Amino acid sequence: MIAIQATNLSKAYGFYRIFEDLSFDILAGECFALFGPNGAGKTTLLRILATLQQPSGGHFSIFGQNGVKEKELVRQSLMVIAHGSHLYEELTGFENLQFALALRGQTIDVKSLKHALDRVGIGAFADLKVRQYSAGMKKRLALAKVVIVKPKLLLLDEPYNALDEAGVTMTNLIIRQTLESEGAVLMTTHDHDKASQVATGGGILQSGKLQLITREQLT
Amino acid sequence: MPFLKTIQWVVWKDLVCELRSRETISSMLFFALIVILVFSFSFSMDQDAARQLIAGIIWVAFAFTGIIGLGKSFSSELQNDCLEALQVSPIPKGAVYLGKVLANFLFILSVEILLFPLFILFFNLDVVAELGLLLLVFFLATLGLSSVGTLFSALTVQIRAREVMLPVLLLPLAVPVMIAAVEATRGILNGDPYSFYSQWIQLLVVFDIIFTVVSFWLFELILDS
Repeated sequence: MIAIQATNLSKAYGFYRIFEDLSFDILAGECFALFGPNGAGKTTLLRILATLQQPSGGHFSIFGQNGVKEKELVRQSLMVIAHGSHLYEELTGFENLQFALALRGQTIDVKSLKHALDRVGIGAFADLKVRQYSAGMKKRLALAKVVIVKPKLLLLDEPYNALDEAGVTMTNLIIRQTLESEGAVLMTTHDHDKASQVATGGGILQSGKLQLITREQLT
Repeated sequence: MPFLKTIQWVVWKDLVCELRSRETISSMLFFALIVILVFSFSFSMDQDAARQLIAGIIWVAFAFTGIIGLGKSFSSELQNDCLEALQVSPIPKGAVYLGKVLANFLFILSVEILLFPLFILFFNLDVVAELGLLLLVFFLATLGLSSVGTLFSALTVQIRAREVMLPVLLLPLAVPVMIAAVEATRGILNGDPYSFYSQWIQLLVVFDIIFTVVSFWLFELILDS
């Protein structure tokens, strides 16, 4: 099954073209690593696929649903972990998780929430305000949402930033589990070594064009 | 049911965050306190004169205090890109809007209830008999201000000059609420018969209904753009 199908996707801000005519497919069970220099448009592409921005041209579908016209349906199957981590500083880790799930209309089971926090290694800090978390802990808390929600499509923007070795291993484990349950992952990263541990394919976005690369070419 | 649950969670989140940080409430209270002090020292009034002018003074303080709170309503979502989480969540955006309106309404009304005794004290008002009607006007006008203000807070949150743009856009639209609130408050404080100012209370009810419904439908469009 095709998880992401992008056809001639383009994005421009006024006369400045970020990328043009990007076409690629990502199948369920695949992890696509998107590389490219700063400012190449990796995050913009990820935000378009996350339905946070409109493409200037072309179209895309997520699990067969139109990414522009059927946003609400698309949003049910995807989850984004971006730089900002989507966390409220005044809420505790546990409360942030509760609220994130409420925003997905999911029933909250306290035991599962605690289990998810334990899984990402921050169970002991569940009742601490996020304001007091380090950048790595915030990243782990964001990943705890993935553990609970189990999205069909996971969009990760620089997932390895701020994580220690154990955090990287845990992130890759969560990615593998998403793939095993017939989900798909698209990540933007600069870290070939860490991404190559889980990626099944990838691409380099540069000068507005996407050059697809095989798993072997990742390292 | 999920719709109501979402409203409940958004209100809970906004209230908990505010009660813990006390950022917005304290700036609202501080600003309103200054307005009350400045006006009370500017006008040395007897009770009759106070009853004529106090309605305007009250609503100047309440409106600008409310705008401070409304401005923070969505700008607080910019930290850690939380606004994106609201945008990308698969829940009806109308529920987020109503949750925000309710939270803003509770904040502003709480500040008004805290401040009103200071007006009574500084302007020597005798309002015990009319307290119920005054609270009704506060309730309706605050709801109107919150419903339209929440929409404009979401509209201006992503622009650079949002602190300037929010009052510029909001105040002209909130003029009917302000006029109706001032007229109704003046009528109540003057001890006029209800029929003298009932049309202003009716205007507040109509404004609340129209603007809440219109804003509810527009909110998704604004959040997505």
